[in-house]
Amino acid sequence: MAATMYAGCVRRLLFSCNSQCLNTGASAHLSGFKSAYSLDKLYPGSNLSFTASVPAPSNDKGFSGYIPIKELEISYSRSGGPGGQNVNKLNTKVDVRFHVATASWLPQEAKDGLLQKYRSRISRDGYLLVRSERTRSQHLNIADALDRIRYLVTDVLQKPKEASPESIEKHRRLHERATRERLREKRHRSAMKRQNTVDL
Amino acid sequence: MASRAGQEKALRLLRHLPRVALNNIDHPNPKPASRRKRGAHGGDTHGAGDKGSKARQHFARAGFEGGQTPFYIRIPREDPYKGHHLRWEYPPVSLHQLQLMVDTDRVDAGRQIDLTQICNSGLFRLEPLRRQFGFQITDEGMDEFVTPVNLEVQWASERVIAAVERAGGTITTAFYDMASLQAMVDPERFFKRGVPIPRRALPPQDAVGYYTDPSTRGYLADPEQVARHRLTLAQKYGYELPEVKEGPLTERKDPRQIFFGLEPGWLVNLTDKQVWRVKDPVMSEYFRS
Repeated sequence: MAATMYAGCVRRLLFSCNSQCLNTGASAHLSGFKSAYSLDKLYPGSNLSFTASVPAPSNDKGFSGYIPIKELEISYSRSGGPGGQNVNKLNTKVDVRFHVATASWLPQEAKDGLLQKYRSRISRDGYLLVRSERTRSQHLNIADALDRIRYLVTDVLQKPKEASPESIEKHRRLHERATRERLREKRHRSAMKRQNTVDL
Repeated sequence: MASRAGQEKALRLLRHLPRVALNNIDHPNPKPASRRKRGAHGGDTHGAGDKGSKARQHFARAGFEGGQTPFYIRIPREDPYKGHHLRWEYPPVSLHQLQLMVDTDRVDAGRQIDLTQICNSGLFRLEPLRRQFGFQITDEGMDEFVTPVNLEVQWASERVIAAVERAGGTITTAFYDMASLQAMVDPERFFKRGVPIPRRALPPQDAVGYYTDPSTRGYLADPEQVARHRLTLAQKYGYELPEVKEGPLTERKDPRQIFFGLEPGWLVNLTDKQVWRVKDPVMSEYFRS
């Protein structure tokens, strides 16, 4: 139906015959066609650039999760375990390290926490080491290593929850009851054993 | 460890206690295998009881539960192929294959690589009439993908998006309806029909969420949000987000557009090498809406 309608319009009106080569690469990215659903109409307040650089979140008020990748030292090596030609030839193991004391992107609290709680992961030079050979892909292993670093930092910045006085009292009573019960059973067991021994 | 006195007491005790044997300890004792009733005390009904279907080897059908609705009728059926003729498919193209196509010049990396470009390479075929609604890019070869490309596919997983953006390219997921697909898959054949270029339909309701989501790089998503998700993904997968300048890598079609440089409503005449535009205001408004 649309086709016949269109045909009628073409016959009735002046049509402009535009001789041009079809879809040349040169003018392709200058196509200015905008329908009612073009992005500037759907999102009027947006800057419409999906490759615009976004400012990185700061880590001043606590760790936001942002890690500047160029301040990490990432090295690759071959993974262990079975896997045939794939594991023998591809560098899928990832080693990520950074110097904790001089890391500008970490709050001081996090640095102190890492040096204390995760000192087993920190080398003598003061570098925090995270290794990953979890998957078959190098890129996914890098993601895994970064995830681990973020986990360590958030773990160290977590404040322990303070127990309310009611729960402290409750735990004390329960512990006392358990001790009483334990001693009672211990005495009972001892009495039974004495009773069951054969006196020769 | 028991004391010396305790050890001596234990040994003295042992002398008076019986020897350990199977009949005075706790041990598993399996039942002997059942044997057919034969002989003097096993005769007459031979363990089959009196009369009944079991004695006469005329059992009820398998699954019969004495009249109670049997299990195989009680449990509702689930048809594994129900609606299979209506399910949409997205044939896969791996990143490895894409890299190979770019390296061997089967596909032009200087322009947007969309459905038409992939079909024109001759290596992949899309059959819209078999409910194939476009291509999906798979993550096989994601570690070796290095060319910056402007990619437009119908579905891509997060890893694939990360691999493409890490290489310095851009990726968009876009929807094409049946009529648009048939034009895209073989443009020459479509133009020979002498029919104006259709207006691309919007995605159906269950796909709108996917194509308006910046995290899946939907073509209807807010570009500002897409830029933020690019950074988030770069942070997740551990790479510095490369600078992408405005140009061939960022060109995108309008949501109603099928071919670059051609608008909906235009008629392409291959024989005379002409393109006819719409001048009627009503029709023009229709094709631009």
